[in-house]
Amino acid sequence: MGIGTYLVLASVLFGFGAAGFLARRNMLIQLMSIELMLNSVNVLLLAFNRVNPSNHDGQVFAFFVIAVAAAEAALGLAILIAYYRIKKTLDTDDATLLKY
Amino acid sequence: MHVEAPQQILLLLIILFPLGGAIINGLLGRYMAKGLVTLVGVGSVAVSFALAVVSFVELYGLRHESETATLVYHFYEWFSLKLPSGHVVAVNVRFVMDSLSGVMTLVVTGVGGLIHLYSIGYMGDDEGYPRFMSFLNLFMASMLILVLGSSMPVMFVGWEGVGLCSYLLIGFWFENRDYAAAGRKAFVVNRIGDFGVLIGMFILVAVAGSFEFADINSAAMAGEFRPDFPVWLLGVAPSLATVACVFLFLGCTGKSAQIPLYIWLPDAMAGPTPVSALIHAATMVTAGVYLCCRLSPLFITSDVAMSIIAVTGTLTALLAASIAVVQRDMKKILAYSTVSQLGFMFAAVGVGAFAAGFFHVFTHAFFKACLFLGAGSVMHAVHAHGDADIFKLGGLKKALPITRLTFLASCLAIAGFPLTSGFFSKDEILLGAAAQIFRPDDMLMTSVGWFTLIGLTLAAVMTAFYMFRLYFLTFTGEYRSADQSGDHPYDAHPHESPPAMTIPLVVLGVGALTVGFLGLPHVVPIIGTHLSDYSWWGHWMAGSVAGQPVPEEMYIVNLASGLAFGAMAIGISAAWVLYRNKGTDALAEKMPARLYQIAFDKWRVDELYAATIVNPIKNVATVAGRADMTFVDAIMTKLPSFNVREAGRILARLQNGVVHVYGAVMVVGVVAVLAWFWTPHSRIEAAFEGTQVELTTPQGLGYEYRWDANSDGEFETQWKRAPGTTFQYGHDDMRGIAVFLKNVHTGIEHRIDVTEEWMPLPIESVVPAEFLSPRDTGFEVRIDGESLLFRKAHAKTKLSGMKEIRLPMGKSGRLGPARVSSRPLVEATLEVRNAFGNTHSATKEIALPFGFEAPTHASLTRPAHEVVR
Amino acid sequence: MTGPGITLFVVTATFAIIGALITISARRPLRAAMGLLVNIVSLAGMFLTLNAHLLAALQILVYAGAIVVLFVFVIMLLGPSAEVAPAEGRLASRTLSIASTIIVVLAVSSSVAYFNPPWEAVPDGFGTVEGLGMAIYRQALVPFEVISITLLIAIIGAIAVARSRTE
Repeated sequence: MGIGTYLVLASVLFGFGAAGFLARRNMLIQLMSIELMLNSVNVLLLAFNRVNPSNHDGQVFAFFVIAVAAAEAALGLAILIAYYRIKKTLDTDDATLLKY
Repeated sequence: MHVEAPQQILLLLIILFPLGGAIINGLLGRYMAKGLVTLVGVGSVAVSFALAVVSFVELYGLRHESETATLVYHFYEWFSLKLPSGHVVAVNVRFVMDSLSGVMTLVVTGVGGLIHLYSIGYMGDDEGYPRFMSFLNLFMASMLILVLGSSMPVMFVGWEGVGLCSYLLIGFWFENRDYAAAGRKAFVVNRIGDFGVLIGMFILVAVAGSFEFADINSAAMAGEFRPDFPVWLLGVAPSLATVACVFLFLGCTGKSAQIPLYIWLPDAMAGPTPVSALIHAATMVTAGVYLCCRLSPLFITSDVAMSIIAVTGTLTALLAASIAVVQRDMKKILAYSTVSQLGFMFAAVGVGAFAAGFFHVFTHAFFKACLFLGAGSVMHAVHAHGDADIFKLGGLKKALPITRLTFLASCLAIAGFPLTSGFFSKDEILLGAAAQIFRPDDMLMTSVGWFTLIGLTLAAVMTAFYMFRLYFLTFTGEYRSADQSGDHPYDAHPHESPPAMTIPLVVLGVGALTVGFLGLPHVVPIIGTHLSDYSWWGHWMAGSVAGQPVPEEMYIVNLASGLAFGAMAIGISAAWVLYRNKGTDALAEKMPARLYQIAFDKWRVDELYAATIVNPIKNVATVAGRADMTFVDAIMTKLPSFNVREAGRILARLQNGVVHVYGAVMVVGVVAVLAWFWTPHSRIEAAFEGTQVELTTPQGLGYEYRWDANSDGEFETQWKRAPGTTFQYGHDDMRGIAVFLKNVHTGIEHRIDVTEEWMPLPIESVVPAEFLSPRDTGFEVRIDGESLLFRKAHAKTKLSGMKEIRLPMGKSGRLGPARVSSRPLVEATLEVRNAFGNTHSATKEIALPFGFEAPTHASLTRPAHEVVR
Repeated sequence: MTGPGITLFVVTATFAIIGALITISARRPLRAAMGLLVNIVSLAGMFLTLNAHLLAALQILVYAGAIVVLFVFVIMLLGPSAEVAPAEGRLASRTLSIASTIIVVLAVSSSVAYFNPPWEAVPDGFGTVEGLGMAIYRQALVPFEVISITLLIAIIGAIAVARSRTE
């Protein structure tokens, strides 16, 4: 078993996240899908760092990704609540103002 | 010999002051107080006049040393152009004051300054006063450039500048559609003339190799314009001088209102009266005469052109005078009078009396400016706006004493009353015409002389008549608008104009009476000093205009004087009898009504032009406009707008605002980009260095390359990251020979693959048929071993066994305008591999620009240049 | 063994995939959140196989402890309206996006699956608190400070966005 397995797993998880983000209409679940994608990237970073363990670059990067994910979750949920206030729903198909 | 004083910066300043005034008044005038506008507008011209006087005095001093003394200011080199002969002609912005342009500068700035002064009173209440001042100043600057410019292009700048100002000022009251149309008419008619000037200028520079008047004139005197014009016109071969002069004269007919282009000048009276006085009487319209005098050594070399000018001038003088005789509007009469007087000047030029013609320009500037300003004063007094019907005026001598006296002085001058300025100048013109009659051995000029003399005498009679008709009807008898009856009567209580208007009148009136004495001596034939050689004027002008033919016999001089005097006397007497103290048009009662009406309608020349030229062009324009709207607009606007609208309709459906769809589109894009990266891409480029071929390909990220440079299935290089390789092809790598035809002018290249069969060479694709002689049509080509074999293909040569021509591999030769090269073909293969492990291979056929050191046949030793036909 | 523990990898990978599937397919947001939790915890375990001890701990702390709790909090706040009626329409774009995603995943997976460089021996302190801490505070100090400011800005932004405007 080599690093390729990790990479495949990461890409599959990323695919799940992407598909969830694109296919679901519930904004909450779309945000969770984003978390999935970020997580899969972390796997990738750690796996590559494990191949070349002479430094911690990958792990430091993953650390920052976790921090950014936290910030993203906070902001995303804030936006979600603001959106809910306006639309009284979490359905993103109702967010069509971009058309104008 | 030219005496050239040091750089005369004054010449530049003379121009720059009015130009600066125009800029200041034009940009800031509307924000400035009226007094300041006046100061800038009039002050700049006054300074310009003062500088002109200073320069003139210096020039006058230099004349003691040399007859051809000039003042020169070389400003800078504008541009230079290369003639087909390779000769480089520099166009300099250079200003020259000689005896001719010196006098003209004084007239322009002096009379112009007076008219500026007059405008304070006449235009002061107009809301466009700053604009008016700005335009007038701009006109002054342009006119001075025209006069002082040392070369045709610089003069042409001024020529166009005065045309522009004329247009702007005729249409000064552009709210009135008729006035705006008059401005447009002047502009369009002048364009026709300007075309002539340009053509003439091009001929001049082509022959003389210089734009400078001095060079052109010396070339003309050296006879360079004597040869025939290279293109035959109407079955005859005129001389270069004739063609150039006729084209230049066409320009003069436009600018100086001669037949056939005089029609704009009467309409130009739509402009404010000072404009009529300055531009359309005293200065701009004389630019044509000035140009003829400037180039007098050229004009004098062509009898044909001179005859045309003399006849045209005489006809114009007659035609315009005959129209003026029956007009009712003061300014119309003066306008036709101007056309008529310009005809006099051109007649003088045509008979070779340049000095006399220009003397008439000089005197005319005084009395005609004075007449126009007087008319303006009358209109100002009776509150007539735009027109002044003389049959509604009358008896104004009581109310307008100053205007009346100056008007009378100018009328006497224009009529040619003895010892007034017009008498001297007109007399001299008649003398010039008479002198031609007595040139013994020249039928053409003799008849032209007769025609001119008789025509001008008749015109002079009419001139005296209509001027005094105008004077009597305006100033004698009873004021016909006093009782306010009739159609649109004028103000019942006329009043004299303010000093700003009367001072210029007085100055000009005095000038009209006295300036003629500059040409004095020749009119005192009894004493024996009869010829213009001895007059101050003739002496002064001798340095810059061609000399006038001089009649030897005294009786000719007496004849001319007698004719001038007689004409004046007959004209004034007739007017006295018919119009003094009368208020009706006595002439109308005596003339046939039809004739009177046609004359009053200006011989219906405008209608003739409308029917023959204007309307056909308008009809063409209408058709073209329709075509434009239906076809061009349909293609250029409707079709694109349709495309945009429909594309927008389709694309708008994608822009539905749903984030999911945008995401889907993005993902599709990601897939596409990935797909591009998924497979490697390559293309082969070949560069040649000696017999080495350098094969390269654009570098891709993470790509590895290996080459099979001769496509034999064996890779010469291993997988490596460097994209390029070099290879030396050998004879065995060759896969054929191709022939390349390249037009050396257009760069169009055509390639054909040659086989061992005879095949036609499609030479027509690069060599237009007209480049090949008939016997060249049809070449055939085939490969013969290692070289190409050409032969001419048509039946005759086939029968006669024409020699075939070889082109060895890798060589080239000429076939008409085409370069024929034979090139060996090889093929290279490249395989690339990217980080995903996917591979791609590309092959390319390469035509080598050289041949091989192959096992030689005897045929290869032939040199390539045998292909050259 | 020089490589990571196979057993642990297989178990955590299985649970991670199951969790991810639950997350994206669950109708109810709370179940999705639980799926996400499973996924995160499994990945934390997987991080151990990659000698990332500190990050495994941070994963549990930050993701499971903070982010998932935040999600649950929001779900609680919204109650039943956190649920969205099943999708209807836009089938084309949905199918297209899922299909494209699958294509990308397959393409990438197939190209990286056999990328097998040899595992190197892990130096001492790799991935431990000390080792990673040294890396963060020595080499990545500036980005670390920047990320802390980013978090601060995110907090302020979240407050500003979520604040009710009706007061």
